[in-house]
Amino acid sequence: MPSLRQIVLTLCAGLAVATAGAVPVEGPVRAQHLTVELLPLEGSIQPGGSAAVGLHFTLDKGWHVYWVNAGDSGEPPRIKWTLPDGITAGAMQFPAPRRLPLGPLMDFGYEDEVLFPITLTAGSNLKAPSTAPLSAHVDWLVCREVCIPGKADLALPLQVAAQKGPVDPTRQALFDRFRSLLPQPLPASSKAVFGSTPDGFAVALTGHPATNAEFFPLDQSQIVNAAPQPVRAVDGGVEISLKRDENLHAQPAQLNGVLLLGDGTAYEIHAPPGPLPGAAGGVSTAGLLNLLRFCSLAFLGGLILNLMPCVFPVLFIKGLSLVEASRHHHSRVRAHGLVYALGILVSFWAVVALLLGLKSGGRQLGWGFQFQSPGFIAVMALLLFFLGLSLAGMFEIGLTVTNTGSSLAARHGYAGSFFTGVLAMVVATPCTAPFMGAAIGFALAQSAGAAFAVFTALALGLAAPYVLLTFYPAWMRHLPRPGAWMEVLKQATSVFIFGTVIWLVWLFASSAGVDALIALLAAFLLLAIAGWILGRWPARRVASVFAISVIVLAVATPLYALWKFPPTDTNSARLGTGASRAGWEPYSRAAIEQYRAQGRPVFVDFTARWCLSCQVNERAVLNRGDVRRRLRDSGIVLVRADWTKHDEGIASALTELGRSGVPTYVFYLPGQPALLLPEVLTPSVVLGALDQLQNRPKPNSQALLEHQP
Amino acid sequence: MNRKSPVHAHLAAIVAAVLTIASTTPARAAQVGAPAPDFHGTDSTGKTQSLDEYKGKFVVLEWHNHDCPYTIKHYKSGNMQSLQKEWTAKGVVWLTVISSAPGQQGYVDAGQENTYMNKMGAQPTAAILDPKGEIGHLYEAKTTPNMFIIDPSGKLIYAGAIDDHPTPEISDIQSSKNYVSTALSEAMAGKAVQTPVTRPYGCSVKYW
Repeated sequence: MPSLRQIVLTLCAGLAVATAGAVPVEGPVRAQHLTVELLPLEGSIQPGGSAAVGLHFTLDKGWHVYWVNAGDSGEPPRIKWTLPDGITAGAMQFPAPRRLPLGPLMDFGYEDEVLFPITLTAGSNLKAPSTAPLSAHVDWLVCREVCIPGKADLALPLQVAAQKGPVDPTRQALFDRFRSLLPQPLPASSKAVFGSTPDGFAVALTGHPATNAEFFPLDQSQIVNAAPQPVRAVDGGVEISLKRDENLHAQPAQLNGVLLLGDGTAYEIHAPPGPLPGAAGGVSTAGLLNLLRFCSLAFLGGLILNLMPCVFPVLFIKGLSLVEASRHHHSRVRAHGLVYALGILVSFWAVVALLLGLKSGGRQLGWGFQFQSPGFIAVMALLLFFLGLSLAGMFEIGLTVTNTGSSLAARHGYAGSFFTGVLAMVVATPCTAPFMGAAIGFALAQSAGAAFAVFTALALGLAAPYVLLTFYPAWMRHLPRPGAWMEVLKQATSVFIFGTVIWLVWLFASSAGVDALIALLAAFLLLAIAGWILGRWPARRVASVFAISVIVLAVATPLYALWKFPPTDTNSARLGTGASRAGWEPYSRAAIEQYRAQGRPVFVDFTARWCLSCQVNERAVLNRGDVRRRLRDSGIVLVRADWTKHDEGIASALTELGRSGVPTYVFYLPGQPALLLPEVLTPSVVLGALDQLQNRPKPNSQALLEHQP
Repeated sequence: MNRKSPVHAHLAAIVAAVLTIASTTPARAAQVGAPAPDFHGTDSTGKTQSLDEYKGKFVVLEWHNHDCPYTIKHYKSGNMQSLQKEWTAKGVVWLTVISSAPGQQGYVDAGQENTYMNKMGAQPTAAILDPKGEIGHLYEAKTTPNMFIIDPSGKLIYAGAIDDHPTPEISDIQSSKNYVSTALSEAMAGKAVQTPVTRPYGCSVKYW
């Protein structure tokens, strides 16, 4: 039974709330869409000591409160203390926020849960034991699609005691979780500078290796908050590109903000203008070592490429010619080896130069981009088909064994060797990704010099086995003697080549459509006729000229068809696009940001039909029953980014991830940096990542994971 | 690009890249100091409104959402109405713009808006209904209220908040410095606007 005194007190309190609304409440206060509370860490404060308290918000799903700079809209929570004599409160500290996209706008804030740590300090003249009546007026803006301002008066009776009491471990863990997200001052070993770029700024952080970063500005109206922030690796750090606010005219004296790195570290930076560490690979020893590491990786990758199904047929032809040539003079053989290496080198350099040129022009391309052009695919298919005809024995061209072997002295033979090198490089491209993804991504993000160095290493690796054989003729003795078996093997090789042609035709059909496909098939027929002419009347000038005209016509036919019947979506969709397969959403940056803002984990499969390893990963791992079930049951949003055709958005997303091509697999977990999976997937890799997802709750993600079915 | 030969495709890519660098930035959103982008919209009386027709006059654009607590602050207090009255009396054109999409907070049809303006005593020159957010995107309006001022030559001279107290508290209005009034006074006196850009505060504009 409540006493009369209690009733009167309660009534008075109720009246006070109704009139002034200012009687502080101890414990959690439920307001619209959130619960707010002042939490002490220790529960007591010592005279002359300090104590940690936290302003703790628990938010309804989808609702958020704001960071100190709320971004394009919103306001941060504010606190006004009423403190007894002898106690002072430090400023409210804001943990690193996350990006909250809202249509064309971008806000910065917190979802699910946030704790803002505050330090209280007690004067030494404070009496112990006693109770310090602390209270605070807190107001905030809580938003989802709509915004609701709220306020509360919170009380916190803090014991003044001579001794520290025990700390509740759960409370300690909560504080630790959000303290770890507080921006740290930049350590002396690190440096942040900013420089101008054509459409804004680039902020570079050195002294802390990182692959991913987000920049949250502390100043208003300097950058476009909603603009993507592409990140690239630089010597010993990262560089992040920011878009300048349209209304910013003067260069800022410094760029102030919080840099949240991929490993979860947050630094508060005050970057002065300065030279960007650039990709001038080789300025620092760390950069040089890094470059060396990637070069050796590239060389190794090049070596392995020789065994890949794409390259093997070409190498096989080369090997046959070597056997044939082994009876010739060694210096000639050596020269051929070098010319072959040169062919590989020059073609790699040409592609890198083109990529770098386009990159400086602002276009996002990645390795393997050639295969996004149906015209290129058509020419490749025709070339290999023609080569296949020749290998099958229909006729002899300069590339073939006999020709190279019999006219080693002729310049024609050197051209053949050079061309074989070019061919090796071209067909090697789609196979490069699994082993080369990291190195190529690194190279393309670097200066021109570094990119050329890495690609040179790759080219040398690809050329090495053959060149070595030509240089150590003693090894050639282990090769079998030339004979009739060579002709058989040569013909057998054509089977591989025709297999490759089938793959290219599939690629062509899926990007160019059925109409253009007929033209390509007709071109094969024309090539067959040209081949027959060359074989029936060898070494006849008239026949050769006629055959060449037919070849030209053959090449022109599909190209004309591509121009005449531009691919339409329905046309190519008939052949089935990977993105629309059940359970996978097509890629959209906005959608992904939206899901991430909602706190849903997202898995993105960056793939392309011309990428063989992507197909293998999808068929052997991602579509495997148990993996598929697990992915579906984990409530993860599955997104397939199909890069078969050029897509600027996907290319820039890849760049941001530090990759330049497909396959790339990435998990976006709430409140965590992007988690990249290796390029070669196994079921255990994917399942392991999923285990990690379920066992490693972090701030912001914990609440979410508990809600997962 | 897809239908040409690879050589052509690459050439085209290079040409495109060069052109991108060479050409100046394309028509951009509203930028203070630059000509304000023209727009066409229908107001709550069904009349077509455009910026061009008000050449020679100061024009104020006010982004509006009647359910947003920050807009409510300025309407419930009568602050916005008195600004509208004061400045339209001095020949300023005051256009309220509503960019909330259908189904979103603040969306109104013409009848609802007229009822609202009657009830609140709002007196803008016109209230433009922009449910597709076209004018909003053109000006990159971020919040309600978000204020823009265009001078008689058609130049954007102010973009940002209504005042310097980013709160939903009516009690804060008294002690606030009103950026719109200050900018209009300065510009009408032939002076440069001292604070031409501020961070707008309020609820986000409910696009899409």
